[in-house]
Formats: sequence, C-alpha cells, structure tokens
Amino acid sequence: MSNVNYVTFTIVVVLFLLVTLTGFAAARWRRADDMMHLNEWGLGGRSFGTFVAWFLLGGDLYTAYTFIAVPAAVFGAGAVTGFFAVSYTIMVFPIALIFLPRLWSIARTHNYITPADFVRGRYGSRGLSLATAFTGILALMPYIALQLVGIQAVLTVMGVGTSSTNTYVKDLPLFIAFGVLAIYTYVSGLRAPALTAFVKDILVYVMVIVAVFYIPTRIGGWGHIFAAGQAHMKAISPVTHKPNGVFIPTTGNSQLAFSTLALGSALALMVYPHSVTGVLSTKRRDIIKRNMALLPIYSVMLAFVALLGYMALADKATVASVKKAGGNAQLAVPYLFQHMFPSWFTGVAFSAIVIGALVPAAIMAIASANLFTRNIFKEFFKPDASPRLETQVSRWASLVVKLGALAFAVYLPRTFSINLQLLGGIWILQVFPSIVFGLFTRWFHRWALLAGWLAGMVFGTIAAYKVATPTTSHWAGSVDIEFGHTVYIGLTAIVLNIAIAVILTLIFKAARVPEGADETLPQQYTADPTDAPAPVPATVGRQ
Amino acid sequence: MAQESSIRSRGPIAAHPVTSAVIAILVIAAIFFSLYVPLYARATPKVGDFPFFYFYLIIYMPVVGIVLWIVITLQKRLEPSPGPSGGPDGPAAASGGASEVTR
Repeated sequence: MSNVNYVTFTIVVVLFLLVTLTGFAAARWRRADDMMHLNEWGLGGRSFGTFVAWFLLGGDLYTAYTFIAVPAAVFGAGAVTGFFAVSYTIMVFPIALIFLPRLWSIARTHNYITPADFVRGRYGSRGLSLATAFTGILALMPYIALQLVGIQAVLTVMGVGTSSTNTYVKDLPLFIAFGVLAIYTYVSGLRAPALTAFVKDILVYVMVIVAVFYIPTRIGGWGHIFAAGQAHMKAISPVTHKPNGVFIPTTGNSQLAFSTLALGSALALMVYPHSVTGVLSTKRRDIIKRNMALLPIYSVMLAFVALLGYMALADKATVASVKKAGGNAQLAVPYLFQHMFPSWFTGVAFSAIVIGALVPAAIMAIASANLFTRNIFKEFFKPDASPRLETQVSRWASLVVKLGALAFAVYLPRTFSINLQLLGGIWILQVFPSIVFGLFTRWFHRWALLAGWLAGMVFGTIAAYKVATPTTSHWAGSVDIEFGHTVYIGLTAIVLNIAIAVILTLIFKAARVPEGADETLPQQYTADPTDAPAPVPATVGRQ
Repeated sequence: MAQESSIRSRGPIAAHPVTSAVIAILVIAAIFFSLYVPLYARATPKVGDFPFFYFYLIIYMPVVGIVLWIVITLQKRLEPSPGPSGGPDGPAAASGGASEVTR
C-alpha cells in the first residue's frame, strides 16, 4: 500500500461506513410486525412508493459494471459495442411499459415472489418453472461477480492491496466490503439496498454532474473529446489490422449490430430476476408505470457516463496509465478520475462506484435466493415450508450466492467473468417467451416453451463460444454473423427459441398433449389490489 | 381460444378507439426511433460540439420520459376508475382460454 492516496482512501472508507450503518438501520425502516416472511425480507413488504421505487430501480438497473464497463467499451471500441447501451436504455422503458404492469398485477394477486412463481402458476409446469429459476440464478451469479470486478478496478487504481502476491491479502479489502454487505443484507433484506440506494444515487449524480461539467474544461472541451474519440476509432489496430472501433455506425452491418444489441439487451433487462424483485416490491400498479416514465432521467446520466470513455481517450495521462496497466480498459474511468479530480473528490467518485456495486449486488443476491427458496427448495424438497422457514432459507441462500460470486471474481480470470456476463444476457433472454408471452396468452404449450428454451440456451452458448478475434480464440464478443448480417447472438437465439416454441405448440396441440393447469384469470392481469396480500404466500400451482 | 378471448377483451379499446390508437402509436414510435439507426447515424448537423448521433441519443432520453408520461396519462382515461388498464398491450389481450384450461 505504498502509493495509496490517503485522502482518497479515507473518504472511501468513511462513505463505506455510512452505507454500512444505513444498511443495518434499514432493518428498522418501515418495520413490519413479522419480518420473518419472504414478502418482508425478500420484497421489502411490497410497500415502496414512486419515490423509493425510483431510487431502488435506478440503483438496481444501473450497476457498477455499467459505470465501469460501458465507458470501457466506448474507450476501446466506440459506438457499436459501447454506446449502444444508450439506445438500449431508451428502448427498455417503452417495452417494459407494455408488460411489467401485467406482471405486477398477476404477481400481486397470487402473491408470486419470483418470475418462476408466475411461470409455475400460469403453465402448471414444474419443469418450466425450474428452467426459469435455474436460468435466473445462472445468469445472476456472474453478474454479481462483475460488481466485484467493478470494485476491484477502483481498488487497483487506488493502489489498495495490489502489492501482495497472496490472493487473500491482495483481495482483503474486497472480502471485507463484501462480507459487510452480506451481513447487512442477511439482516435487513431488500430494505437494505432500498435505503442504501439513496446514498448511491446521490453520490453517482454528484460524480456524473461534476465529471460532465468539469472534465471537459480540463482537457480542451467537448469538441476535442469527440475528435479524440473519432481519431482513436479510425486508427488501425496493430493487432487486428482493422480500425479500433466505430465512432458512428454508418455501414449496414454496424447499424444492425448496434440495434440488435440494443433491442436484445432491452428485452433481457426486465426479465432479469433482480429487476422483477425491484418491480414487485412496489405498492401499486401505477407506481411501475410512473417509474417507466421517470427512470429515463437516470439514463441521461448513463449517456454521459458512456462518454467518459471518450474523455479518457482525450486525456494523454489516462491513456498512458491504462497502457501501463496492460491495456485493461476497465481502468480507464478510475484513472481518468484520479488524473482529473483533486484527491478528496476522487474519493467521492470512487465511493460512488463501490457503493454502486453494493446496491445491485445485494438485490441480485436476494433475487437469486428467492428463486432458490421458492422454486427449488420449496417446490422440490419441502412443499410444506412455512413462511418463516422460507425466509430463513432465503437468508442463508443469499450468503451462499455472495460467496459463490466472490469465488467467481477472485479465482476465475476476469475475462472469464465478463464472458459469463455476456452469456448471462443471452441466457436470460431465453426465458422471455415463457414470462412475457405468458402474460398475454396461454396459447403456447408448456413443453414447447421448454424445448424452445433449451434450443435457445444451447445455440446461444455455442454461438458465443465460437466468436473469435485475432487476439482471442473464443468468447470474443456477443455478435456473430448470421446469413451475412452481424447480429446480437441473444436475439438470434430467441428467434430460434420462439420458432421452436410455435412449431411444437402446434404439434402438441394437435396431439392433445396435456396443457397443465392455469391458476390465473384474465382480469387478474390488470388488477390493482389496494390492500396488502394475505400474509400466507401462495402455494404455487396445486395445493 | 384466441377468438374467444379477443371478444371478451373488447371493452376499453372499443370504447376509446382514438385514445388507444394514440397510445399504441406513441409506444411503437418511442421504440422505433431508437431502433432504426440509419435515421440518426450521422455526424452532422453538429449541435454545439456534439456530433448529431450522440446529441440525438442523449436528447432522446428526456423525450422518451415525456412520451411515456403522456401514455400513462392517456391510459388512465381509458380505464373508468379502478378498472383494468388499457394500453397498447390491449387490456387482458388474450390470456387466451385461461378458464377452460383450468378445467
């Protein structure tokens, strides 16, 4: 810890302590009579209003990985693989407005806690529900691990813990941060990230606003920033002998890659279990709708965060530091802050990123834990589990999930986590038909959906594995070429998934294969129950 | 199944065809004008120092917020008090044959 800036370090520690206190205090916030209930621990009592939900969903959807990886991608390759995230966060809200209110209503009516609960109730299929839960947990694990990668990027630039060769000593700060997070999540449940999201969002806003107004004055204005970005993208990479990236997608293929990546990611975001957890924690149906109109305010900020990538390119010192660190683009934004800001404000900005990792990591761990408890433990091992036991299992599961993610982040090479996250996006898209189509129609056959899911998972995984560049032989990206067009693999996979589901549905219907029981009623998809649901969670499917 | 459910769900959309159409158009437009990249993948006209491509996507954010706010306001008009919400999704559109499958 020789080159640590102690002002920066102290600020980060103090703000981390503040968040820790908030996390523990959250257990007393809006306290319910009986905390030992999954509606309380796992969904914050389903009681959040527009204001809290805005912070919670904002804190949930815009992760530390966003703050690190999106500008890193813009820094490395420009618009198509980086700035597409802005188009994606535009589209996600109109798309979500179409189906999220229905998901909220049906989940509220039947007291569903996870998306797999809904699938179970709608199709009467344990297999399809298990597939949904399994996919959710599988996709979330690397996502949580990537939050840790975000923290690691900040710690590396701060010079904390990098001197030792011992893994445990080297990553000790990470262990401590995550350990503390695990404990207060265990105690407070979803209330902890909901309350700490306030601290996170305020810090993030301060960071972005200062960065956007201050940094351009230091490095020659926006004109210079965009010029630096354009020049870098046009330059020929010595490794690939192709341009570094795309500044503005003007060719047909780059445009198609840009829009399919954006559309695919937009479809995926709201079926991620942690998004569903955030959505179901709200009090009324119109709160979801309002937030779809209010959350784009958050996305404006994301657009500027993405542009930090070009700012980093425009600053020679940052480019040099990244090069010296082995060309790891993830470090671009932390280095940029360190070079531009006085050390105390660097501390504030770094805290924003670290805390920005903790909030979504907590919600993701809770979402995974709920999936495990409801759709694996209760469904297959202990159908008569009491709400109290469910909550206890979920609490422990959240610890296990975090431990797993920690192992991911520490033991696996970082590129591996990033590849898994990329795969996670492709995987989670494969449950989209079961959940979202299921909200509108019961036409699809449960086994056809299951077969489509399997086909999409296998195709997506293999296609992603085969993507290669001159520098990496496998898992090199998330777009590949289909019929001569560059397309996001997730989108190709879901098209295949849907095609198989349609064909098999026709076959199964003709063969009169049992359809399974549907416990939902049409009017329940638009219902807005005003009073809290009964304290006993629904036994999904048959009693 | 499909026909049966579409008859059942005629309600709010048939009662307010214009409002429903406006809602559908707004939601589709909000998606389309971001999805169709050739529309804005240009460097000019520059707005300040921002190439048009970047300016367009940044300014789109608050616009989509306003458009969706209009949509949810219109949806309220669609539903008499605490009734079902309408929208482009079509109130209870489909949920096809739910009841008979339960049999």
